[in-house]
Amino acid sequence: MLRLSLKMTLARKGRLVLTSLAIILGTSFLSGTTIFSDTINNTFDQLFTDVFRDVNAYVRSANSVESEFGESRHSPTQIEALETILKVPGVSAAVGDMQSYARVIGKDGKPLGKDQGPPTFGGIASSSSAGLWKVESGRLPVGAKEMMLDRETAENGKFVVGDTVRVNALSGTREFSLVGIANYGDVSSPGGATFALFDQPTASEFLLKPGFVDAILIQGDGSLSDEELAKSIQAALPAEARLETLTGAQITAETTSQIKTVLGFFTTFLKTFSFIALGIGCFVIYNVFSITAAQRQRESALLRAIGANRRQVTIALLVEALIIGILGSVLGFVTGIGLSQALSALLNALGLEIPSSGLTIEPSAIISTVIIGTVITVLSAVLPALRAGRVSPLAAMRDTALDTVNDFRRRIIFSAVLLAGGAYGLVSSMNGAGAKSLGFGAVGLFAGVLFIGPAISRKMAMIIGAPVAKLRGVTGAMAQQNAARNPKRTSRTAAPLLIGVALVTSFTALAASIKGEIRDTYGKSFRGDYALSVDSRGFGGIPTSITDQIDALPEVDKATGIGFVPAKVGDESRYVLVINPKTTEGLYTLEMVEGKQSDLTKDGILIESDKALKKNLSIGSIVDVTLIDGRTLPLKLVGTYKNAFGNYVVSREIFDGSTNSLFDSSVYIKINEGESDEQVRKAISAISTDLGIGKLESRDEFIDTQAAQVNQILALIYGLLFLSIIIAIVGIIITLLLSVFERKREIGLLRAIGMTRAQIRTMIRWESVITSLFGAVTGVVLGITMGIVIVVSLVEKGFSAFKLPITGTITILIIAFVIGVVAAVFPAWRATRTNIISSIASN
Amino acid sequence: MNQTIQATQQIDPANIAARAESASKIYGSGESEVRALDSVSISFERGKFSAIMGPSGSGKSTLMHCVAGLDSLTSGSVFIGEVDLSQLNDKAITKLRRNKVGFVFQSFNLIPTLSAYENIILPLSLEGESGDDAWIKTVIDTLSLNDRLKHRPSELSGGQQQRVAVARALASRPEIIFADEPTGNLDSKSGTEILKFMRRAVTDLGQTIVMVTHDAVAASYADRIVFLADGKIAGEMTQPTPDKVLDYLKHLGE
Ligand SMILES: Nc1ncnc2c1ncn2[C@@H]1O[C@H](COP(=O)(O)OP(=O)(O)O)[C@@H](O)[C@H]1O
Ligand SMILES: [Mg+2]
Repeated sequence: MLRLSLKMTLARKGRLVLTSLAIILGTSFLSGTTIFSDTINNTFDQLFTDVFRDVNAYVRSANSVESEFGESRHSPTQIEALETILKVPGVSAAVGDMQSYARVIGKDGKPLGKDQGPPTFGGIASSSSAGLWKVESGRLPVGAKEMMLDRETAENGKFVVGDTVRVNALSGTREFSLVGIANYGDVSSPGGATFALFDQPTASEFLLKPGFVDAILIQGDGSLSDEELAKSIQAALPAEARLETLTGAQITAETTSQIKTVLGFFTTFLKTFSFIALGIGCFVIYNVFSITAAQRQRESALLRAIGANRRQVTIALLVEALIIGILGSVLGFVTGIGLSQALSALLNALGLEIPSSGLTIEPSAIISTVIIGTVITVLSAVLPALRAGRVSPLAAMRDTALDTVNDFRRRIIFSAVLLAGGAYGLVSSMNGAGAKSLGFGAVGLFAGVLFIGPAISRKMAMIIGAPVAKLRGVTGAMAQQNAARNPKRTSRTAAPLLIGVALVTSFTALAASIKGEIRDTYGKSFRGDYALSVDSRGFGGIPTSITDQIDALPEVDKATGIGFVPAKVGDESRYVLVINPKTTEGLYTLEMVEGKQSDLTKDGILIESDKALKKNLSIGSIVDVTLIDGRTLPLKLVGTYKNAFGNYVVSREIFDGSTNSLFDSSVYIKINEGESDEQVRKAISAISTDLGIGKLESRDEFIDTQAAQVNQILALIYGLLFLSIIIAIVGIIITLLLSVFERKREIGLLRAIGMTRAQIRTMIRWESVITSLFGAVTGVVLGITMGIVIVVSLVEKGFSAFKLPITGTITILIIAFVIGVVAAVFPAWRATRTNIISSIASN
Repeated sequence: MNQTIQATQQIDPANIAARAESASKIYGSGESEVRALDSVSISFERGKFSAIMGPSGSGKSTLMHCVAGLDSLTSGSVFIGEVDLSQLNDKAITKLRRNKVGFVFQSFNLIPTLSAYENIILPLSLEGESGDDAWIKTVIDTLSLNDRLKHRPSELSGGQQQRVAVARALASRPEIIFADEPTGNLDSKSGTEILKFMRRAVTDLGQTIVMVTHDAVAASYADRIVFLADGKIAGEMTQPTPDKVLDYLKHLGE
């Protein structure tokens, strides 16, 4: 039986190629994303192992706050501890370390590095062997007027020793003379970041706060193990300093795992889309097996006739699936290697640069891809194989591809149940039932639509094809009939496109609503004329000194800064909105529910009204807020608001005297009457934009930009769904090819009685277009329904209204049309090559 | 004497619907070469019902396919009316088949997704024409298909399907109709019906039909029979009767 299966598999090369193609595509994205995440994980592993290679112990403040992504932010460390540490037996060297925000201004006055992209750091250069930086040329900086640059930045900025370099940091912009160029361990610069390096006192004062560093790096003399060294250092440190000591291995592991947590969100996101692609691939595989199983009824009947029982016929097909599954998955894995590179390119193009060195291919990636691919292929073949086993020897006499008129009543009832269940799951997930319910809801809706497909595909194809039949005469009418003749096949062929389009549509609809929401919120709260903003992704921002300078400009009436800092509110780790209540009036207005915005003082807090309700807080309640510097402040609830980003608002004053460095992420500006746009922009740019800090925009521009941020994520989603669309196209191509093959005699007959090759092409092209439009239309309906369900259930959360993405929908339908045309090219060409004589002569 | 017989005598050149001149068709090459047609010259008279007979593998279908423009010759030439098919490209030949030639095949004659009526007018529809309504009505009446027009092929009996095929072949009033064993798959009653219809199409409606068959009774409906053997013309007979044909075949076999 196995030999027979093998023979049968190889005998039909075309079928083999088509089926494997579906599997290759389905598995390639899976392996692509696996390789991609393995590669970046490995890159960071290596990077941090390199960075902390010579570090045996690591001392930092024990005061910390966890941010929303699970990484902890530590308070700065007093440099005095250095003296104590150096005296600990077993310590050979120790040095302060710092990675703070600092931006180097290039010779052309433009900053090096961008808001988005690799970070721009300021740090400490030291002669200590514990330091991470090694002098490459020149010498170490000494005192408040000297600095060093990493080699890559020096090369990019064409700086040489002796140049004067301008740098912007937390405490303003200064000029330094460049006295040296440094290497980071063995590399010129880690991951494309820029580094401005100073001696420790200068770095602390300029970048952070005098007397403080981020952490202290310690090298042992080799007499103690890292664990023993860390223990004795910790014992030597005074308890009231609230410092903690980690071994080199611990800090390496912690840093790596923090990065991996953040990357984890991203790789999960990618994996989700690769499973969507795989699911879509499944449909194509299932469809191909169904069609080929039907086409080889004769073959199966023949097997039965020569004595094979039902089970053997079924097993023969499953073995074939197994062979193709393994073959396809292996090829899919190889294709995935290329795809992982394409993914890096896509992310770069979207401005989400992720450093990667080389290519990491773990054996587990190969194994999981091949196993998943093979299992899925065999599973997709089960139903068609069972059907093939049930074939009666009589069926061999019948012509294939008869119209199947089934009773669809049960199908419709069952799908209705699925649809209702799905909608319920979706709605309840939006009302707090969680992601699981969202998943079940979405799966229910999709399953319902896919299940009802065969019951509606014939009607839909007839309706969509009606204009075609009108316009293109009999060729159009035949295309319409062909699209409608096998309702199950049509609906299975359209399914991948349906899924892709539904996802695209619901994301587009959701994005449109979110954009509307953003516009609304900013439109209501932001009342100024201009905004200066950064997209710093949680690192650095606009130094508050710049905000004050703008406020002091003669052209400016007033300017107020808004920042986000991680803090612990009660037991919840959150980014807290920091405002300056003295200057917000008329510039940044919260929609207050209770209390007044101006009531906010350094002892108060404002909380989003729903949040306050949920936490059982009312005006006058005391909320404990823990800052990074370790202070816990009992803040009094003085007001509640709604429709803003963020749940908590505090005053900038609470950071007075704190070691917590405070940046603004945007500055709202109101100008004096009569000042010209040109004048204002020039004045503000002189302070900010020339330093590469933020983007200065008018109110309208600013609101547009904020709304457009959604587009970046949307573009990423589109990019990831693109592969699913490719699989959908290939699915249509495969089905059309199989149909052309199946209708060989029909096409031969048409050619004989006078259908030209051009007419054949037209007929197949329109069949393809009708099928893909069927998928697209159903997908749009499903997508919009999901969008409405999601948005409507979010209304309470402040979502104003559902915005129908009209242009988006039209674009999708046009794309579906093009997809239909493109998918038909090869099958149509193949059809014109049908040999008339052999097809009409075969009986 | 057989190899010298050429079936071109007695026909007025102006009355020829289709003809082949020194037509040869060779399949394969070298050892495995098959001469399906070996320098055949033949003319088919307008308004007549001709039959081509011969043993299996004698080249009947090949001759028909080549004269009908479905296949090309290895050497020689073929004319439909005055048109030399070797001078035409694929598109022109396809249009010629659509407008000047009608076909009835042994089986699978109809497009399963179209109704009987749509099948009948298919060649006209492909040309973008609606055709001569009165003529189409006459054809449908002659073939007694009035109450079957809305049916799909799968809802028709084998005999009805062949009648629809004959109707389609007649619908565009072609120069010539080729039928390859049109009754081969039918029971004798339905077969006889079809043959009678074809006879009427020639006698009453003035059409030209060339039918390939190996059945002596079927061939006897024709005005003239051309016999083929080993890709060559082996003889011909006019005003045939079944007995005469069987006699001749016996004689050929010797
Ligand atoms: N495509 C082909 N390739 C090779 N030989 C062929 C092909 N078609 C027909 N033949 C051969 O040509 C000869 C004539 O065939 P055909 O015209 O079908 O005969 P008939 O219709 O009289 O039975 C036969 O020997 C047949 O085997
Ligand atoms: Mg034949």
